[in-house]
Amino acid sequence: MAEQLYNAVFIGSIYALFALGFALVFSVLDILNLAHPTVFMLGAFAALFAIGTLGLPWFVALVVAVLFTGLFGIVLDRVAFAPLRSRGAPALSSMISSLAVTLIVVRLVELRYGGDFITFPAGAVPAFVLRVGDATFEGVRLAIVVLSIALMLVLTYILQRTQLGRDLRALAENPRAARLLGVDVERAIAVTFFVSSALGGLAGVLLAFAYNTLDSKMGVPLELRAFTVMVVGGMGSLPGAVIGAYILGFGEVASLVYLPTELRDAFAFGLLFLVLVARPTGLLGQKSPDRV
Amino acid sequence: MDAVLDLLRTYSTTIAVIGVSALLALSVWLTLYAGQLTLGNAAFMGVGAYVSALLGRLLDAPFPLALLIGAFAAAVLALPLGVIVFRLRGVYLAIATLAFGEIVRVILLATPITGKGQGLNGIPPKTELWHIYLSLLVVAYVLWRVQGSTIGRAWAAIREDEIASASQGIAVGQHKLAAFVIGALIAGWAGGLSAHVTFSIDPSDFGFTKAVQVLVFAVVGGVPNVLGPILGAGVLTALPEVLRPLKDYRDIFQGAILLLVIIYLPRGLVTFIDVRRTRRLSRIGAVDVA
Amino acid sequence: MMRRAAVGLVGVLLLANCGGGTTPPSGNPATATVAAPKPDIKIGLATAKSGAANFYNPQQSNGALLAVDQINAAGGIAGAKLQLIVEDDGSVRDQGITAFRKFIEQDKVVAILGPTLSAVAAGAHPVAQAGGVPVIAISNTGLGIVGKCEYGPCDWIFRASLGEQSAVPETVKAATQKLGLKKVVIIYGDGKFELDDLTIFKEAFKANGVTVSKEIAYTAKDVDFAPFVTQAKGESPDAVVASSLAGPAGKILDEVAKQLPGKRVIGGNGLNSAALLSNANAGLIVVGTAWSKASTDKTNTDFIAAYKTKFGADPDQFAAQSYTAMIVLADALKRSGNATDRAAVKKALEGVSSLATPLGAFSFTADHDVKQPTFVMTVKDGQFIPFQ
Repeated sequence: MAEQLYNAVFIGSIYALFALGFALVFSVLDILNLAHPTVFMLGAFAALFAIGTLGLPWFVALVVAVLFTGLFGIVLDRVAFAPLRSRGAPALSSMISSLAVTLIVVRLVELRYGGDFITFPAGAVPAFVLRVGDATFEGVRLAIVVLSIALMLVLTYILQRTQLGRDLRALAENPRAARLLGVDVERAIAVTFFVSSALGGLAGVLLAFAYNTLDSKMGVPLELRAFTVMVVGGMGSLPGAVIGAYILGFGEVASLVYLPTELRDAFAFGLLFLVLVARPTGLLGQKSPDRV
Repeated sequence: MDAVLDLLRTYSTTIAVIGVSALLALSVWLTLYAGQLTLGNAAFMGVGAYVSALLGRLLDAPFPLALLIGAFAAAVLALPLGVIVFRLRGVYLAIATLAFGEIVRVILLATPITGKGQGLNGIPPKTELWHIYLSLLVVAYVLWRVQGSTIGRAWAAIREDEIASASQGIAVGQHKLAAFVIGALIAGWAGGLSAHVTFSIDPSDFGFTKAVQVLVFAVVGGVPNVLGPILGAGVLTALPEVLRPLKDYRDIFQGAILLLVIIYLPRGLVTFIDVRRTRRLSRIGAVDVA
Repeated sequence: MMRRAAVGLVGVLLLANCGGGTTPPSGNPATATVAAPKPDIKIGLATAKSGAANFYNPQQSNGALLAVDQINAAGGIAGAKLQLIVEDDGSVRDQGITAFRKFIEQDKVVAILGPTLSAVAAGAHPVAQAGGVPVIAISNTGLGIVGKCEYGPCDWIFRASLGEQSAVPETVKAATQKLGLKKVVIIYGDGKFELDDLTIFKEAFKANGVTVSKEIAYTAKDVDFAPFVTQAKGESPDAVVASSLAGPAGKILDEVAKQLPGKRVIGGNGLNSAALLSNANAGLIVVGTAWSKASTDKTNTDFIAAYKTKFGADPDQFAAQSYTAMIVLADALKRSGNATDRAAVKKALEGVSSLATPLGAFSFTADHDVKQPTFVMTVKDGQFIPFQ
């Protein structure tokens, strides 16, 4: 039982780490960035490239991958979102353009690495373990659990207490007013995308390390979970996203243990549906669901 | 002449799929016209597909009847959905409809009679191209006429400003529900037709990917015009076949074309057909909404 | 407005015709004293170059291409060269159907190999059946591909890929005997392949007197497999059965190694993947395969050497199966008497008997299914080796 509990915590942490970047972009820019799973995957492959082709040790590869995906996020914005923003296109168009970018990037990765899953070169992946009494905790998995909460706290702090955070919140509230108030909107948007994508890339690298496999489609299963997580926790709230992630994680493991197997999947979507109907703002949501 | 016939026979399935996709795109277009964003129509398509296929297989139901019942089953399922979610808007509504669609899909996966994950195979190919294109013609025509009718103008009003419409006495809730239900009806009908084209169906045909694909058809084609979704469905379905010679690079070009269209053609592909109107609208800054 | 749209649509489709299926000029300009060259014998290959199953390539295409090259170099079929036309089935049903239709209506092939996935075959094979074109399935291993098909008679369809119905019982028998199994748990996915395998495994275990104490389902969207194996652990099984594709199988292997040390993981064809060889826990695998790289048959060693020379990499089972299907087809073409007559080729295929192939001695059963030995394998040092 304790084991399943830890499994649930770990799964919740994966969802949380993935959802953080996704939620950030949504809370600041009202965009559902459907290219986030791709950034996640790109981070993993960037690490693979750094380790396999450049021969870098894993901690350097991690940093390189995170920086790379952060920068890619900025490029993504310039290519797919900025032109739509400047003419005031509806949110739907942004969803579609991010989808288009996904198609291109995934294919490019597949052309280089193939469509099957691959493993890191032997011995390249960190494999330290932590022993507490009887139990063994894998280092990378533990790192994921710790980081998901730590990063959420750091981001929330930045958003609430720093000038940058104030700029971002002003931007989220009303871009035009923010500009008039002297906020460097372009810089704020670039920072948002950098951080969001870097987070996505970090999640990708850590997950690839945890399982020692990566493939071009690794972001897809997490995409739908991200919606649920954001809605349950509250759209526009970062702590909410993390809490939503843990609720989902615990719910999934509980339904595995207690529910007939076919209905497991229905749990996630049933939960989502219920929350949307009963309490659309989610647990900690600040945005009114009437905002289109 | 021979070559053209061979060509048509080779692409008969593609042409059928284009027609079905166009019907689906129209079903989504309808809800978009009323200002509602829905990602649930893939599920309704699935309901229509399974119900009509099973009726044919288990009860030997005549084809038109099976299609009709399939479509109505989808419409009936849309009723509670519409009532529950009509308070939500925009992204929240989209996600709620997506969640609903996924729940339907999971139930399909869990019910033994549907063949579960193995799907239904060996469905007799009863659909003829003329079935599909006649349906498309009828639906497109009806929707075109509806635009100018009372209910159509009510929908347009709701799309523009829900609160103002309500204050004008329009029964907003009922109109939105109507859009959902009729959209589901069309999607269910399309589902029944498509099930009898490719010999087999399984639940993964009707999931998130399909829902997004259909939405993309409607949006890329262009929303303001009934022709838009048909154009979008046609071009985007034919695109993978057209791009066959690009082999490994096909997906890259598909993504690039999608990206270019969505960024540079705000009114969608309809722009090519209605260039004058687009120019006028872009001058007054109303190009994304009208 | 309507007219412009219609014209556009037709134009798009005509464009499609211009692109696909290039036909290189066949034969060389002959000198006066040599007889006119025979027209090429066209064969279609529908394979997943893009989409969910794209990891089957390039091996699947390469196997067939190698065979065609070798046959042509040896003089072809009574002087006529083979021409292999490869189309992408996109891992989706309607593209697979279109590829088949193109082969039949435009390219006018004499036979077709493929498509990659059983789910795509469910749509494509009936088209060939209706069109009277022989098909050899090269990677469909589920139920209902040959013999008794859900869409009606399927006598034009043959299968060269060892069906799970044949392979799994052998695997289960070997595993039960060598591991002394009494109780197992099956972890299975929600796709057609995994569900077919589940049925076959259950029957096989029952036939061997082994109890399946729990069946645990996962979905394609599951990321972490620890909870599933933890559930399995609760049953104290003698072994874990993974009715899954390679990706999830790798994660299940890691979890079993962690949570159920010493227990093996038995699987179906999904575990038969080169990508799993680099998994640290691949040594736990017990799987029945259609091909053993270690087999010392001359046909096999020649094949491996030739493949390596031409493509610079080792072949895998998919390549071996497409290669085999091609030489089986060539054998039938030779014996058919008229290599462009589809009905004659079909009859000749039925007569294939104990043909030497990299998969061993190959025959077709009365149901047009492959009859070949099953190799029960495990993994050691990054290679599949026979399970002992």
